[in-house]
Amino acid sequence: MTTLITKTITKICLPLVILFSISLLLAGHNNPGGGFIGGVMFASIIALTYVAYGLDHIRSFFDPDWTNWFGLGLFLAAATAFVSMAFSYNFFRSAFGFVHIPLFGEVELASAAVFDVGVYLVVIGGLLSIFTNVGDDK
Amino acid sequence: MDSFTAITIAVFLPFVLAGILPAVEKVLKDKIGWYASAVALLSLLLIAQAAPEVIHGETIQKSIQWLPSLGINFSFYIDGLSVMFGFIVSGIGVIIMSYSNGYMSKKEDLPRYYQQLLFFMGSMLGMVFSANMIQLFIFWELTSITSFMLIGYWRNRPMSVYGATKSLLITAAGGLFMLAGFLVLNAITGTFDIPTIMNNESIRELLHGHELFLITLILIFIGAASKSAQGPFYIWLPNAMEAPTPVSAFLHSATMVKAGIYLIARIHPIFSGTDAWFIMVSGVGIFTMLLAGFLAFRQTDIKGILAYSTISQLAYLMTMYGYTTHHEPGIGVAAATFHLLNHATFKACLFLVAGIVAHETATRDITKMGGLRKEMPITFIIASIGALSMAGIPPLNGFLSKEMFYEASVEMGHLLGGPYSILIPALAVLGGVFTFAYSIKLIDGIFLGKRPSKGLPDHIHDPSMVMLAPAIFLVFLIILFGVVPSIPVHNFIEPTVSGILLEEAHLHVKLWHGITPPFIMTIVTFAVGILTYTKYGKIAEWQNRFNARFPWISVNYYYDATVENAKDVTSKFSNRMQPGPIKTYITALLLLVIILFTVPAVLLAPTLIPSDLNFDIPAYEVIIYLFMIIAALGAAVLRKYLPAVIALSGLGYLVGLLFIYLQAPDLALTQVLVETLATIIFLLAIARIPQKFREHIPSKTLARDILISVAVSSVIFIMLINATQGIIPPFESVSHYFIEKSLPLAGGHNIVNVILVDFRGYDTLGEIAVISLAGFGVYNLVNSRGEDE
Repeated sequence: MTTLITKTITKICLPLVILFSISLLLAGHNNPGGGFIGGVMFASIIALTYVAYGLDHIRSFFDPDWTNWFGLGLFLAAATAFVSMAFSYNFFRSAFGFVHIPLFGEVELASAAVFDVGVYLVVIGGLLSIFTNVGDDK
Repeated sequence: MDSFTAITIAVFLPFVLAGILPAVEKVLKDKIGWYASAVALLSLLLIAQAAPEVIHGETIQKSIQWLPSLGINFSFYIDGLSVMFGFIVSGIGVIIMSYSNGYMSKKEDLPRYYQQLLFFMGSMLGMVFSANMIQLFIFWELTSITSFMLIGYWRNRPMSVYGATKSLLITAAGGLFMLAGFLVLNAITGTFDIPTIMNNESIRELLHGHELFLITLILIFIGAASKSAQGPFYIWLPNAMEAPTPVSAFLHSATMVKAGIYLIARIHPIFSGTDAWFIMVSGVGIFTMLLAGFLAFRQTDIKGILAYSTISQLAYLMTMYGYTTHHEPGIGVAAATFHLLNHATFKACLFLVAGIVAHETATRDITKMGGLRKEMPITFIIASIGALSMAGIPPLNGFLSKEMFYEASVEMGHLLGGPYSILIPALAVLGGVFTFAYSIKLIDGIFLGKRPSKGLPDHIHDPSMVMLAPAIFLVFLIILFGVVPSIPVHNFIEPTVSGILLEEAHLHVKLWHGITPPFIMTIVTFAVGILTYTKYGKIAEWQNRFNARFPWISVNYYYDATVENAKDVTSKFSNRMQPGPIKTYITALLLLVIILFTVPAVLLAPTLIPSDLNFDIPAYEVIIYLFMIIAALGAAVLRKYLPAVIALSGLGYLVGLLFIYLQAPDLALTQVLVETLATIIFLLAIARIPQKFREHIPSKTLARDILISVAVSSVIFIMLINATQGIIPPFESVSHYFIEKSLPLAGGHNIVNVILVDFRGYDTLGEIAVISLAGFGVYNLVNSRGEDE
């Protein structure tokens, strides 16, 4: 699979797909997308990179501990659930509001988006840690 | 800062600061113990801030909504009882964590040790301030879990593992009984809020007259008894002594084992004043007090003696809280509360001494010790004061509360009349005699007499001040509480007692009462105690002989047999249920699908296949369906792995394509991405195994498999055909609600996403937790395989 064509295409796709996955994550509240899809997309392109260039080669200069990602994601998601309690609302109560930012116009801020970021990180971390574990030759 | 905020911070601070402890450890290195002590001290100061209001007789309660629809709120109740426990937990916490700096070797895994100690302290504080039963239960089980981890701190010692497992099995199972009791209580009273039940006369009357009253009491009492090692549940505590000694001092003498006592005190206003309460609580208490006091004799491990003594002392408390009649609901409450405080001081002190002695002599066997008074003079004085307080010698605090115990026993016996007026005080004195004997044994066995010629190190000396100072501070409290009892009585005991009895309490505790029945009972205790001590060795020998001859007269015998048997049964069960090949599971799963879908379909649908089917399908969809059928057949028929897998993923992409035509972009996107990733992982996995199906499938199996597949697909087909007809009458469509509320309630246009992250956010949280667990699972699977090779 590691032909020159694969490698070149992967190299071009990598930044685009990552940006697209982030846009999916952020757009999720109102358009197709969301944390889960965005996370799977991110994980796919990283997986493709691993396959195209070889796990060990990529790891020699880029080797994050994916388990930390899902740890952080779970923490974020759980934290949004509890934060509402600190404001004397019940568990998991969500809130949203609109702010005006120059150039962007009206932007919606929702507490659920933080939760979605948590989902995003968990999906990336979970899938890629499985992937690296299964794919590891050792 | 108001008291509620202070208490909330005091509870959660240990959790948060324990969470970042590993990071702090990188800076502080082996001084990390002082960080933990500082955290405990912060909690102590925060609790102290709430104390003045409570001492003035107020109670504070405040709630934050948690799951209001279920009546479960996050609620703290701050009264005398909870503040006193708060002081004991955080105060002993400071002492233990400072002491640990000297006790724990620098080579140990210190961050884990202090982290778990802090987690425990936070759980314990959370429990004592809980007003809501469910919240109390959660913290209660957290203390069991942290205790489990701390007992098993030395993971490689089989006895630590055994002790940790035993304590978890008994205390966590007891907690479940307690939860059941709370649920019944909720069913009767309609609330989970303890203060509401406590302060409402009519609810209490309803409860006392209810037919489920006894069941509720028994269930909750099992929880309390298992935690406080009472009755047959005592067996976990002696094995828990495998923990590091500071842990034993903290959890298994001063705080966690008192959780059961706390629960009894907390529900005292709700259940007392009934015969059932007296018979159960005092009955089990007296029985345990005598049995554990007696069994302490044959212990040779100094921590073993202290463990049995703790069980016996906790039983004193149970007994006193159990003293009740219809007119006098709380005869022993004041005595019990005072003794509870005193026990925390002298028992923690004795455990610290046990730790010092074991640290310096490298043994805990009392038969190998003796004559250490010259080499360890300061330790000798500390130990003597602690032990004499436990024995009830004036002017130490143990003397005062034991006198009160006798006084309450005399009163209880008098109120019951008949033979009880002699029996109950006599049993109380017998309990005191045992206590006296083993207390003296501790001093005599370790410090007095002759130093044995071998078995001890040559040079033994007092430890450094790091370990001595905490013990000296406790000795100071022992003497202070004994000589000036008005300090603890006014600040702790009176608010607590009035909180339990629900009325103003004024107590007069003095060292010298004159020649009263309790005083005479004390004299008798000392006299008989000295006599018993002269026969100490003989009694212990007799117990050993008895135990050797009748091994089945012991709860441990049945515990071990049950656990062994359970291991056997469960391994048989799992071998049968999980034979290995994935085919078995799939078959079982598919058969289940047939049953689960067929039964409701036959029952609910008027006809299995609707008559007016609309077969007006666009041509491009038909083409996709044809390709899907080809791909599916390919996956089933192809004899090599690689083409089969590609056929399978082709099928997945076609489904994704179909979703686009059916106008479900979210689904299509997800389907395509998941399919891609699954294919890559699949290919990685099959790259390592032989590329051909080597297995020959007999035609019989093949026929069976085809039959199952056909059955499943027919069932699914019929179900989908019916589903497209719309909602079957008894049910309503759920989508209307989400379509209407998505924008106004959650501010999102994408309903699928809003359901995932908002309306059903809790489900999603569970799902991502599963993803994380799957990640860990694969990690373990892949790495444990490596170890076997």
